[in-house]
Amino acid sequence: MVIGFIILAILALGFALAVVLAKHPVHSALALIGHVVILAIFYLLLRAEFLAAAQVIVYAGAIMVLFLFVVTLLSAGKEDQDARESLPAQRGLAAFLAILGGALLAGVAVRVTGTPPRGPAPTGYGGLLDMGRLLWGPDFPYLAVVALMLLTAALGVMVLNRPDPAAAAVKEVR
Amino acid sequence: MILPIVILVVKIVVLIGILMGGFAYTMLLERRLLGFFQLRLGPNRVGPAGLLQPVADGIKMMNKEDLMPTAADPWVFRLAPVVALTAALAVDAVVPFGAPIHLFGLTISLDIANPSVGLLYAFAFSSLGVYGIVLGGWASQNKYSLLGGIRSSAQVISYELAMGLSVMGVLVMTGTANLEKIVQWQGAHHIWLFIPQIIPFLIFFFTAMAETNRTPFDLPEAESELVAGYHTEYSGIRFAMYFIAEYVNMITASGLAVTLFFGGWLGFPFLPPIIWFLLKVGAFLLLFIWVRATLPRFRYDHLMDFGWKVLLPIAFVYFLGTAAFATGVL
Repeated sequence: MVIGFIILAILALGFALAVVLAKHPVHSALALIGHVVILAIFYLLLRAEFLAAAQVIVYAGAIMVLFLFVVTLLSAGKEDQDARESLPAQRGLAAFLAILGGALLAGVAVRVTGTPPRGPAPTGYGGLLDMGRLLWGPDFPYLAVVALMLLTAALGVMVLNRPDPAAAAVKEVR
Repeated sequence: MILPIVILVVKIVVLIGILMGGFAYTMLLERRLLGFFQLRLGPNRVGPAGLLQPVADGIKMMNKEDLMPTAADPWVFRLAPVVALTAALAVDAVVPFGAPIHLFGLTISLDIANPSVGLLYAFAFSSLGVYGIVLGGWASQNKYSLLGGIRSSAQVISYELAMGLSVMGVLVMTGTANLEKIVQWQGAHHIWLFIPQIIPFLIFFFTAMAETNRTPFDLPEAESELVAGYHTEYSGIRFAMYFIAEYVNMITASGLAVTLFFGGWLGFPFLPPIIWFLLKVGAFLLLFIWVRATLPRFRYDHLMDFGWKVLLPIAFVYFLGTAAFATGVL
């Protein structure tokens, strides 16, 4: 169990590093898929079967396919090496923020220690019914808020990308 | 301690053997039947009635030169067919081939794993299969391959939603996502689920054809416009992997359809359950081949319209209706 965890943790870290370090966006996306799948295996180790399956279906199966769709469409050729960066300090800033965020998370993880579970997991733990009771019971407000947020974002994208009505009218006249 | 592991390994080896044999003879069956449909004979020279043709094809594939375009991305090019084949084979791990059998005082269930979320597991791995096609299309650095790969990803994203919704009705009626329990539910209630769920079953069948890139949804490899689509640049054993993946996907889709809608291994007791299962899967494979021989290919925008504007709304409305009935609202 512990050995499996260590191997998976090393793999997860390796994939995560590869996402950042890969030269080509497609390789980054591939590494991210690997990372997502490893996370799903972590969930399986924690007996959260539904979460693991959902993680693979949603992230690896849907979202990353969209990512790859866009990346392969945009970068059909090899990458252009000397693309100039429009924000001069962004690398340093990104590194600083990443370290800050990591330190915060690590601090929280060290400070908050839950009680370790004792004995075998109850039957049905992590299954469909269990998850459903959580999501549609006490956690329903969060679910609803997240759904609203995503809906707003989708609508926002559509509104922002709407062609200018004046320009569209001109086109039609032509 | 050792015994379960031995049984597991034996089951995995047997399953892969069945799938590989199934692939070889489904392909032969398809070629011969297509021949008959088109008033010709099909391959019948190697062995009696052409039965050794798959062996000859296998030897040919392994001895062919393995080509890779200079501009190709070497890692991704090699990885892509492996991903396609792995995903195709992995789905079958949760499909129950028959009722648990009793052998030498042991009870052996005829699936490799039996997770409580088996149906979701199957969907998770079948959704990973598209990577093989997208990556292969991209890594070849060939415009036809790329078009095939992009078409495939768009197609799979569009049809996956309708497919997911079409099986939700089964989930609601049986109250479980475990494939073995779904079959047992159908046995206990003496009804195969395609009767109350006929429309979702049809949607599942259409989307399964789209997910396996079969005619009339074979736009990713439309030979009249894209040479061969995503596998244009592949040869030898890597091409064979794509080919095997496609046929294994077909067998898997048939197996899932049988399990979810046609009572899995259930049948009259004069034949053992596993034979019933294989017979039903065979019937579905015949249907796949028949459709291929009959229908022309969709136009791309028609395909997208059909997925989003026809299949998805119908699946959604039928699912809501099923949920209302099952919970007693209606």
